[in-house]
Amino acid sequence: MSTTSPSEFAGTTMRSASALSTRALRNTRRMPSTFLPTLAMPIFQSIAFAGTFFAITKVPGFPTDRSINWYMPLAVCMGAAFGGVGLGFSAIKDMENGFFDRLRMAPTPRRSLIIGPLISCYIRTLVVVTVVLLVSIGFGARPTSGVVGLAMLYIAALGLSTVSAGWGLGIAFRFRDMRGAAIMQLTLFLTMFLSSAQTPLNVMSGWLHTVARYNPATNILRLSRQGFLGDVTWDGVWGGLVALVGLSVLTLWFARRGLDSLDR
Amino acid sequence: MTATLSVQSTAAMNHNWRIGFRQTVAMSKRSVLALWRQPALVVPSMIFPLFFAALGTSSFGRAINLPGFPKVDSFLDFSLAGTIVQGVLFGSVQSGSALATDIENGFFYRLMAAPSSRLGILVGRLAGAAAYGAFQTLFFSLLLLPFGMSIKGGPLGVLIMVVSGGLIAIAISGFMAAAALKTGSSEAVQGIFPLVFIMLFFSSAFFPRQTMSGAYKHIADFNPISHLIEGMRDICIDGLSSGAIARAILVPIAIMIVSFTLALRALAQRIAAQ
Repeated sequence: MSTTSPSEFAGTTMRSASALSTRALRNTRRMPSTFLPTLAMPIFQSIAFAGTFFAITKVPGFPTDRSINWYMPLAVCMGAAFGGVGLGFSAIKDMENGFFDRLRMAPTPRRSLIIGPLISCYIRTLVVVTVVLLVSIGFGARPTSGVVGLAMLYIAALGLSTVSAGWGLGIAFRFRDMRGAAIMQLTLFLTMFLSSAQTPLNVMSGWLHTVARYNPATNILRLSRQGFLGDVTWDGVWGGLVALVGLSVLTLWFARRGLDSLDR
Repeated sequence: MTATLSVQSTAAMNHNWRIGFRQTVAMSKRSVLALWRQPALVVPSMIFPLFFAALGTSSFGRAINLPGFPKVDSFLDFSLAGTIVQGVLFGSVQSGSALATDIENGFFYRLMAAPSSRLGILVGRLAGAAAYGAFQTLFFSLLLLPFGMSIKGGPLGVLIMVVSGGLIAIAISGFMAAAALKTGSSEAVQGIFPLVFIMLFFSSAFFPRQTMSGAYKHIADFNPISHLIEGMRDICIDGLSSGAIARAILVPIAIMIVSFTLALRALAQRIAAQ
């Protein structure tokens, strides 16, 4: 009986994951209609929110006088999050047409079925962040703390896409049909908007202030906005990083448990 | 003898009108019952506008003191009209989508094969949308009252807003019905939703035009949704005035004439193509 060494196992995982991510990216190229809304919505959101809610920057205590500096990171995070749950939709489609059963029967490590799509999601997220950033700069967004600040935006987006991908896949593996899609989107939508999405904590009032204060999405958005509201500070960074790491671990575990439940 | 024929033809015309009217009422009832029996179609157009109203009130409550913002007691007073129109827009997309579904599943062609009023198919659908739009207006107005909202126009103002809500629903559903009759695809009608959403955000639904600047202000100035909202908003925050009533009623009627004409033309084309 032969045994597989950990390095061989890791190699197999990465080869399978790489094949799956290539497949996902090919699908994106062949059917751009599946990716374009993920790209178009954040661009629209960034521009529309900045224009509509422009006057809110004049409220005392608002941290910037450029509304697009406030709303662009929100749009990027929403785009990254919805791109992540998109993996859940793809998994449901694969389960409905039987392709996922063939993947499960193949002699590949189970974790590659999560890591592979995740890699493709990261690549798409990088495209979304870069395009939305460039368009927003065209509409008046101005980074305030150089490369480090921009890196915070990318970290927040990639982290959020991990969290939402784990959540989307976990739901998909449990529901196994499109009923799960509404739950993925709705929970994400509510979590993102019940935070400092539209205004900072010091400007909002009432019930939303209490909810947003304890919502980890507030910390993640604070991290993403570091490069657009002044200097990057450790106070503004650490809460977001902790939230991203904690939620990523939880949701990826949720996805893995869901995947294992398919075998039972 | 000529007089007898004339009386007979008048009686036949009246009879046809009565039958046409009864069929239209039956079609309206059917479209309202469909919403009642499938709450999943209705819930998003009721919940999302309320969610945005609650969110906006907490997020932008302090904006009411900004220069250019209309004088209001709370942001909720300002946001009511936007909430109503948002709900009506979402509901109208559903109404158009339901007509397209009738075409997809063949019900529309069964009506065509039956000796039923062609106009009744369209008017029935629009009347159903109007009833739902009027209901949404009343529901949002009453629901938000205990949360500190006030309507300066009083009960008469609410009544005019309900009428305006029904007219707005016909105006927007007319466009959706035209799209449904033209394409015969519920997916295509649902595909219009992002466009509706974009138009909503580039209007004065969430913030007053007076506080916008540059290109956004120009777009909002020309956006018909801004004008649909502002008549109702004037009644809510300023009270009843002839100008506000005229805006709340005449703007939807003007848009309704355009959309109904388009829908009638699309219906004629579909009938001719059959």
